[in-house]
Amino acid sequence: MKKPFNELRERLLRAGVPPRHVRRYLTELADHLADLRAEEEHAGRSGADAESAALVRLGGMDDLFKAMIAKREFQSWCVRAPWAMFGLAPIFLLIGAYFVACLYLWLGWKIFLPGADTPFGGGGGPIYGFANLYFQAGKLYYFGAPVLIGWGIGLIAARQRVQAIWPIAGLILISWIGGTAQIHASRTAVPGGLGHISMAFGLWPSIQGIPDGLFHTLVILSLTVLPYLIWRLQKAHSLRSTQ
Amino acid sequence: MAGRDTNPNFMNGVPELLILRLLQQEEMYGYEIVQAIRSRTEAVIAVGEGVVYPVLHGLEREGALTARRKTVNGRSRIYYSVTPAGSHRLADLSKTWTNLATAIQKMLTGGQYEEAIQ
Repeated sequence: MKKPFNELRERLLRAGVPPRHVRRYLTELADHLADLRAEEEHAGRSGADAESAALVRLGGMDDLFKAMIAKREFQSWCVRAPWAMFGLAPIFLLIGAYFVACLYLWLGWKIFLPGADTPFGGGGGPIYGFANLYFQAGKLYYFGAPVLIGWGIGLIAARQRVQAIWPIAGLILISWIGGTAQIHASRTAVPGGLGHISMAFGLWPSIQGIPDGLFHTLVILSLTVLPYLIWRLQKAHSLRSTQ
Repeated sequence: MAGRDTNPNFMNGVPELLILRLLQQEEMYGYEIVQAIRSRTEAVIAVGEGVVYPVLHGLEREGALTARRKTVNGRSRIYYSVTPAGSHRLADLSKTWTNLATAIQKMLTGGQYEEAIQ
């Protein structure tokens, strides 16, 4: 894509136009420019003159930019409500992911360890075969959920060229919740021995709980913030080199 | 006090009106639309040609237009056409603009416009 359109793309993304609208707009502009250039060449202009005349007819970059951002319906939620996109939405996603993890654990407990007091292997001896695979996959999902959601935040923020403050705040929040989450299971908590699984979030952990929770929080934060910061540095570098 | 329609911006709705009118006759892509506007208004209405696309996208989003990708002569283009909702919108915009143009003409001719056109 031509350099003027590269600049326009960056400006539109930073102004909050969703990437899919930007892509389509620039594709149509590029097609239109090609038609104008062909028309000018057909009228007898040389290649460079035809290109210049075509760009003038297409409109200045400021006009093309303002025409698109004037339409508020094309502003993404990342710009309209960044607190919701990078604060509330990831929290709800993580809660949903943890609900699925609890359900998964409860099902595994019921199917593979019907006599055990907890699904964490206590009292029932080691677990082998498919049951082991099942519980390991659950553990991977449970610990991976905040990281995956964090990567999602970083990806959306990068695509939309959002200022770093909101995504980083969201990543800290997700890392904190993910790092301090605890899952409990007990067969005696409810009558009938059905088994009861609950989650607790030590958002204000006791002194004893801080080291583990802090370590886990820092691991999640590193895994999610670092790729995003590296992308930002690379993007800033490539923008500087093209200017 | 009874509500009254106002015209805060005289150019408001003009690009939409012209585009809907053109596309009601046949489907077109952006470049064709701009050239058709230029030729049918004898270049009286000429804007930066690229600004037509946000208008087209806005009308599509409102459901007044549909867009489809079509390959003609080896080039893939996005063609736009009017939907039934777009036809209603065109009728409303046409009525508004006819009233406005009549009112302005009356002002310019000092109230003689109706006599002049009869």
